[in-house]
Amino acid sequence: MVSAFETFRRLGPAAFVLKAIISVIVADVLLLGFIMLRRTYRRRYFAKRDGRLFEFRERWDALISGEIPYATWRTKPSDRQLVETMVLDAFEVAGPEESGRLLKFMRASGLVEKSISDARNHQGWRRHHALVALGRTRAPEGIPALAEGLRDRNPETRLAALRGLGQMACPEAAVEILNWVGEAGLVVPALPLQSALVQTCAERPQVLLPYLQHAGASVREVLARVLGEVATPSLGAEVLQFAEDTLPELRAAAARALSYMEPGLAVNVLSELARDPIWFVRLRAIVSLGRLGHGSGTPVLLHGLNDSNRLVRLRAAEALVDLEIEMVPIFEKVIAMGDRYGLHAYLTALENAGLQAQLEGEIRAMRRGSKEVKTRLLEVLRAGPTPPEQNGPQEKVSAVAASRS
Amino acid sequence: MIHFLEASNQVLFYYYLLSNLAYLVMLIIALRTSAAHLRHLESVPLQWIKGSPLAPPITLIAPAHNEEKSICVAVRNLLDLDYPQLEVIVVNDGSDDSTLQMMQQEFRLRLVRAVYVAQVTSAPVRGLYRSDVDARLLVVDKEPAGSKADAVNAGLNAATSPYVCVVDADSVLERDALLRIMVPVLADPERVVSVGGIVRVLNGSEIEGGRMRRVRLPRKSIEVIQVVEYLRAFLIGREAWGRGNMLTIISGAFGIFRTDLVLAVGGYRSHAIGEDFDLVTRLHRHLMEKGADYRIEFVPDPVCWTEVPSDLRSLGRQRARWHKGLLDVLWPNKDMLFRPRYGRIGCLALPYLWLFELLAPVIELGGIATIVLAACLGVLNGALCLQFLLFGYAFATVISIGSVLQEELTYKRYNDWQDVARLVSYCFLEHFPYRQLHMMWRLQGFWQYLRGDMEWKPMKRQGLQSAGTD
Repeated sequence: MVSAFETFRRLGPAAFVLKAIISVIVADVLLLGFIMLRRTYRRRYFAKRDGRLFEFRERWDALISGEIPYATWRTKPSDRQLVETMVLDAFEVAGPEESGRLLKFMRASGLVEKSISDARNHQGWRRHHALVALGRTRAPEGIPALAEGLRDRNPETRLAALRGLGQMACPEAAVEILNWVGEAGLVVPALPLQSALVQTCAERPQVLLPYLQHAGASVREVLARVLGEVATPSLGAEVLQFAEDTLPELRAAAARALSYMEPGLAVNVLSELARDPIWFVRLRAIVSLGRLGHGSGTPVLLHGLNDSNRLVRLRAAEALVDLEIEMVPIFEKVIAMGDRYGLHAYLTALENAGLQAQLEGEIRAMRRGSKEVKTRLLEVLRAGPTPPEQNGPQEKVSAVAASRS
Repeated sequence: MIHFLEASNQVLFYYYLLSNLAYLVMLIIALRTSAAHLRHLESVPLQWIKGSPLAPPITLIAPAHNEEKSICVAVRNLLDLDYPQLEVIVVNDGSDDSTLQMMQQEFRLRLVRAVYVAQVTSAPVRGLYRSDVDARLLVVDKEPAGSKADAVNAGLNAATSPYVCVVDADSVLERDALLRIMVPVLADPERVVSVGGIVRVLNGSEIEGGRMRRVRLPRKSIEVIQVVEYLRAFLIGREAWGRGNMLTIISGAFGIFRTDLVLAVGGYRSHAIGEDFDLVTRLHRHLMEKGADYRIEFVPDPVCWTEVPSDLRSLGRQRARWHKGLLDVLWPNKDMLFRPRYGRIGCLALPYLWLFELLAPVIELGGIATIVLAACLGVLNGALCLQFLLFGYAFATVISIGSVLQEELTYKRYNDWQDVARLVSYCFLEHFPYRQLHMMWRLQGFWQYLRGDMEWKPMKRQGLQSAGTD
């Protein structure tokens, strides 16, 4: 076998290797040179940019009111970008009056029009950036350009358009998204879609209802989750129709939405949903009952302590602890149920809420009941559940006893 | 003998060439990926995630063993991280010092009866404590088991969020690190199952109240070389492997995982030496065997600052342990090699690790030994060999400077001119003599593993409060 070094020698390797060495050394020098030049350039660029930013900030009111002629900054791309960034940042924290003033400025100066044009005509990441910036302007005239972005072939462009529409935060944007989802189905990941819909439907959740009735299964699931997030009392009895829907997500959304309704009507429906075969529907119903905080939900919450799902048990316990009613009768009922896991969950919730001492005080001050009963209640409160029962949930629970010491 | 020496020369030459070419390809991929990531971030402002009701909850798991000096500062920093729904679980792994007592005082911990479901194995738990100061904090006090993996498993059992983020208690996370690491998850929660962030060198930087105040390069040469190494490994290596969905390591100091999947693979392997590498490899295996469409991503901007060894002895031990960890994972998973069922991981990522990581010390040091032997026997063309070594050295230096360039073009944490000049100058030292020394430590690790020496030797640390005062 001939060595690699020998092969090179035969090929005239000295020249070849020398060339290679020179090439890599030149590459090293070029890289170093590039780093140095770039640093110098950036230092100067940022110094200049900061100076300009300071000038604009100093004359902010004159800039927004149009006293400074738009032509002085609009024709220079760097200045225009700077002003656009400043205005959009200010827009995100502005109150209604200031927002109106900023929007008027953006329209008058042509920034909105420029954003619309960029969102339509640019390609690649420039278009993504323009779509999001257009959404941040919250100018309704930008919605058609954003809707075009939704129908683009590039998934990143679709996501950027979705984010932009989400930023619009108005029902008109929601309608565009919902129409598009109706046409194209779920062609983007569910979470960004949900996020955009939550932002746009918050003002008028009713917008979702017709789409919920006609959408396909996967889209319906997403819309149901959105409904659960944005439901308000304004929905009224309309959510009741979903409490018996075949889609568990929709029943869960209805359960969540019911927490905003009048307890009189909601508790009955939630009591039904708390017996649903799907665990997350039961969970939502229990959480909603806890949020309503109405005494009539107590039997359902006590039943929730026996649930086969750990999360349902924990939330039921938290809800019971949060009820603003006398704690001793509930505690007695929890013990009487004879479920070690339910009692464990209740005591944990009690500890987390820091209400153990209060319950102890209530037990001591209790007028009814014999001394033995009080002693037993206090003992359970301090020592926790008795050893596991045969027919408890099949989970290996290592109850770390607080009374170890 | 002569034939053997010639063959080994050949092997060494092509090995160097291939290894550097592979890194050059990775550099190009990494430059493109970073640029795309930065542009993508422009259209996802982080405050949107912060304000989103849909951001999934995260449980931070921080194992702590004898961290009394820095634990309170570290926990406060974890609780201060920007993220809408956060739970922090500190696992006191049988500390001999007053780690638990310090936390009890600072965070008013009280023993609670919280449900602890032992879904993955870990040493027995002595007690669970919740803070009265901040209800998001839960402390798990457990018996020592001598491994970080066991402590993380205890944290996993107590975690209640759909995502867990494992961090080192002695590391410093940047305030927006969780928001940044969740960007890929929020964009595609169905497919993205795990995300790794970048780990950077803390030594030398100014720390105030456990927070990064000013990023500076360390003073000691051995630490600066590690900065170059970390930049190359994360900004080039992980970025490129992540782009191809072939990431096999998510640093144990900072990474996020879907809780259900970690539990499904049985959590961390308690006695694994490289528990982070082991977990990611098992996740790949599990998901590929199920035929799942998934991604394990790397994002280069959520930063975790960590202390690196500042003396040769500690560094040598660390690197030997890392190499043992590599062998400890690659050997049991050798059945994945070149099997189409395991896709790119089995056909590209794992063979690369075998050839250019695991066997590197054997091939490189063996090659150097044969060159010396050939020179002694007079069968070596000295001038040409010198030219070859010079070429290899300069080529590898291009890659190292490329990683500094990548840092300059993208995240630019070292703002001081002096720091950049020093960083660049150390690129020239990384491949000689540091690389050869590094190979010896790795060979030592190889040998220790074969001998069955798995003892964990602690690294000398300064702790969070003293970092930056050297």
